[in-house]
Amino acid sequence: MSTFVSPTTLDEVLVALSRGARPVAGGTDLVVGARQGKAPLPVDLVAIHRLDSLKILTTGRDGVRLGGLVTHEDIVANDVIRLSYTALADASAIVGSQATRAQGTIGGNVMNASPAMDTGGPLLCLGARVVLKSSGRTRSVSLDELFVSPGHTIARPDELLVAIDIPPVVDGTGSCYARLEYRRQMEIAVVGATAVCTIVDGVVTSARVAMTALAPTIQRVPSAEALLVGQPANRSSADAAAAAFAHATKPISDVRASAEYRRAMAVVIARRAIEGAFARASGSDVPIPASSALQGAR
Amino acid sequence: MTQLEDGAVVADFIRPDGKEKVTGTGRYTADLTLTGQTYAKFRYADHSHARVLRVDTTAAKALPGVVAVITHDDVPEVKYGGMVQDRYLFAKDVVRFEGDIVAAVAALTEEIAVRAAALIEIDYEILPAITDFDAAMNAGSTLVHEDWASDNRSDDLGSDRNTLGYSTIVKGDAAVALATAPVVVKGRYTTDPVQGVPIEPRAVIAQWQGDKVTIWSSTQVPYAARAGVAKTLQIPESNVRVIVPLLGGGFGAKCDFHFEGHIAALARVAKRPVKLVFSRHEEFFAIGHRREGMVIELETGVSAEGRILARRARLVLDKGAYCGEGGFFAQMAAMHACGPYEIDNVSVHSYLNYSNNQPSSSIRAPTAPQVCWALEQHMDEVARAIHMDPVELRLRTLIDAGSVGPTGQVYENIAMKESLRRAADLIGYGLALPDDEAIGVSSGWWPCFAAQSGAYVKLNFDGSGSIVTGAQENGTGAVMAMPKLVAEQLGMRAEDFSVLYQDTDAAPWDMGSCGSQTTFNSVRAVLDATDDVRNQLLDAAADHLEASRDDLELVAGSVRVKGSPTKSVAIAELAAGGTFHGKGSGELPESPPVDASACVGRLGMESFLAPQVFTHAVHVKLDRDTGVARVLRVVAVHDSGAILNPLGANGQVYGGVVMGVGQALTEGTVLDDRGRQRNPHLLDYKLITCADAPQIDIEWVGRATPGAGPLGSKGVGEPPSVPTAGAIANALTQLIGAPVRQLPMTPERVWTVIQGVAS
Repeated sequence: MSTFVSPTTLDEVLVALSRGARPVAGGTDLVVGARQGKAPLPVDLVAIHRLDSLKILTTGRDGVRLGGLVTHEDIVANDVIRLSYTALADASAIVGSQATRAQGTIGGNVMNASPAMDTGGPLLCLGARVVLKSSGRTRSVSLDELFVSPGHTIARPDELLVAIDIPPVVDGTGSCYARLEYRRQMEIAVVGATAVCTIVDGVVTSARVAMTALAPTIQRVPSAEALLVGQPANRSSADAAAAAFAHATKPISDVRASAEYRRAMAVVIARRAIEGAFARASGSDVPIPASSALQGAR
Repeated sequence: MTQLEDGAVVADFIRPDGKEKVTGTGRYTADLTLTGQTYAKFRYADHSHARVLRVDTTAAKALPGVVAVITHDDVPEVKYGGMVQDRYLFAKDVVRFEGDIVAAVAALTEEIAVRAAALIEIDYEILPAITDFDAAMNAGSTLVHEDWASDNRSDDLGSDRNTLGYSTIVKGDAAVALATAPVVVKGRYTTDPVQGVPIEPRAVIAQWQGDKVTIWSSTQVPYAARAGVAKTLQIPESNVRVIVPLLGGGFGAKCDFHFEGHIAALARVAKRPVKLVFSRHEEFFAIGHRREGMVIELETGVSAEGRILARRARLVLDKGAYCGEGGFFAQMAAMHACGPYEIDNVSVHSYLNYSNNQPSSSIRAPTAPQVCWALEQHMDEVARAIHMDPVELRLRTLIDAGSVGPTGQVYENIAMKESLRRAADLIGYGLALPDDEAIGVSSGWWPCFAAQSGAYVKLNFDGSGSIVTGAQENGTGAVMAMPKLVAEQLGMRAEDFSVLYQDTDAAPWDMGSCGSQTTFNSVRAVLDATDDVRNQLLDAAADHLEASRDDLELVAGSVRVKGSPTKSVAIAELAAGGTFHGKGSGELPESPPVDASACVGRLGMESFLAPQVFTHAVHVKLDRDTGVARVLRVVAVHDSGAILNPLGANGQVYGGVVMGVGQALTEGTVLDDRGRQRNPHLLDYKLITCADAPQIDIEWVGRATPGAGPLGSKGVGEPPSVPTAGAIANALTQLIGAPVRQLPMTPERVWTVIQGVAS
């Protein structure tokens, strides 16, 4: 016998989870996956869409808190995120389709743990932590530690992602998420790159770079970051870092692209993300989403 | 009935079925529910080529909630198919592609049906899968149909073993001409299969009452579906009624008899109504209907002045596992390898080969987009070889009135060269562009198809009217425009008429929505029936008004005496006092004469009735680092004769161009080494989206071509998807410096060619 409940309080949701129910928010992964035969719908479902407290997006001096039910559309519409956490806006602006972005939640997107997830790289590079809550326990986990393998996180089945905290961004920082796009909507990342760079007097003082869809999980690329820090923010440092980025990838061949093409595109897309971050750090306008704005650049 | 003049375009007409479709109140087959209804699931072949050794349905039948499980043993031993009868409803001894059906289940719920289908035990002996459709014609190749000689293959097909059809277009002596031509250009091109992808996945419901069955089906061809059920179940056609609720698109993919026979057979055993609704996954892999992959080898001899001295071509088409209705493809492809050009000597050999891939059948202008893409790239290569502008070469070689075609047909009034001139003008051909942008052009042709059709038009007592037609509305609006055309003839209003359609018990036989033929043939029949009513009204009014028939006219809902508007009688008044019903079919235009005595595999395509001719010019921007191309603008100039409803005709061009862009750049079914689809879903089978659609500018340059359809119209639906890919290819070649010889021209393929040029 299957069950479906949709409580209005977090406590009720957590109790349901502790009894083995699986959460559903926007349903854009769970329902679509079930229809495609990837995994059957869970026997017991707890819908969390009525938890209004999880729909709040707050910004302030302490950074940003995204409730687990904040949608991609909410993120793209937020001026503070667009201005200071721009890579996240780049990513949320190109997730799936208009309908996906209106319906899909950031919590669901992160906990689905797809290596091709667009928002993962920006959150990782912006130093985000997720707040996982179960009955009687709350813990904060860095995104570095969250992802284990495709579709798997370290969260226990009774834990719910209730919020994502992103620390403040220091002055002189620019961020950018770029991905290879065969078409402009309903696209999934085949190659994606995030760069978050702080520039002081033309020199990169801090750099975080992450790869998307090029390894089993979203992950940082320390070798690329090392080639940026201390270097002038210019074309040659971007080229060097992009080359290191591509070298660090573990591309596969599948119906979406060959490994050879993926590796070559890793150079191009990483370079665009880094140069996009450079440009934004120095106050130039790179429209959101950067992916289409940077197409054919250089 | 008067024919419109050159360039005639009449007023827009807004289709009456639009509102219910866009507001969600329309009812499609999957929306229907019958009392006692059960749910069907198929058990598909587990291998793309294997001998079936044992099928055991015991466990499936024992599952609670299962009401019927059937296999080949439960239906008559009958093969079906178009020109070749090569397929059973359920696989008998051999499965030949991954979507072959071994068994069908009906159960109380869909979930039970899924489980029951999985419980059917099947033992196979795996056979080599023929996926290389070119190598399939090699001597010694494994046969897709071992018993092919007994498949009742039509003699006209030139069949031999794995070659289902072989056609040639031969004119003069191409070998000699090529040997002496100053310049010879060769090219080899390959294309991936493409899907029709209607928004509505297929659905079928069958219900028996005594020995008669009613079938609701999402088909473009209800009469073909009726014939298929009657044949495969060995019952009279009069015992089969096929009704099509609203159809959610087809693009050709829903032409032909498909699953109506399986579901009717299942419902007969279940003794309850049975409903089948396909998933999107099934809509990809299980249908016997996709655009075929091809190998296209072209060789052209040309003079320095741009006269085409000879064309030699070898075409190989992937028929997939079964014939379906696509038996004519070899000859159609061969005509497109000639294209709408004046060529002195021709030798085109075209092979339609079986494989263990998904069966190919008509998708919007079958065979034309692929061959046109190859030929139009080839024409640009020819132009480069003689250092001539590609538009100039086409202006020197395209057909026009008086030209003689590859089969000896003399073309009459057509706007072939005009379409090119206008397209080049409108796109700004020759203007300077940024270095990552270019313009390409491509021209093409497509025939009109004459077919039987019949219709009734009747008036009701209140002065309204009803049109009864066998035509099928697949979304083009062609049927929806019938009230407008009928009303114009009777001096009435479009909203006075209802249409009874998509019901095989209502109207005479019709070919269905295929071959851009609905307006061409079905409207001909409807207007003929209208003429019948018009005569009846004139007779009655002449009596009533005591006037001479010849002095009467039908205007504004009345019959009146010309010049004396007060002497009139309302049509409603006449209708209330009598019976007015017309029937008609109209006269079929004859195929233009040809001299094709040197050609084999002649299936009628050697004669192009009232050709539709067209040119697309495209403006493309290329991201050279990634190989991602964006189409910024498409100019589409078409001669489709008189345009009876510009709103509807333009809609066909917008949709066709978008389909053409997808075929050019992103759409392709990828097969594995056993012929199984690797991307049978909408995430990785990449249709382009609204966000990718270019600006599309349309111009109609219709000519009153002899043999045209009602009011001087020709077909409209298929051509718009034909030339777009070729034009995009020609723009890309300019940007890359080398052609991309694989379709679709995906970013990776484009990038690979760029790398080749760079090294």
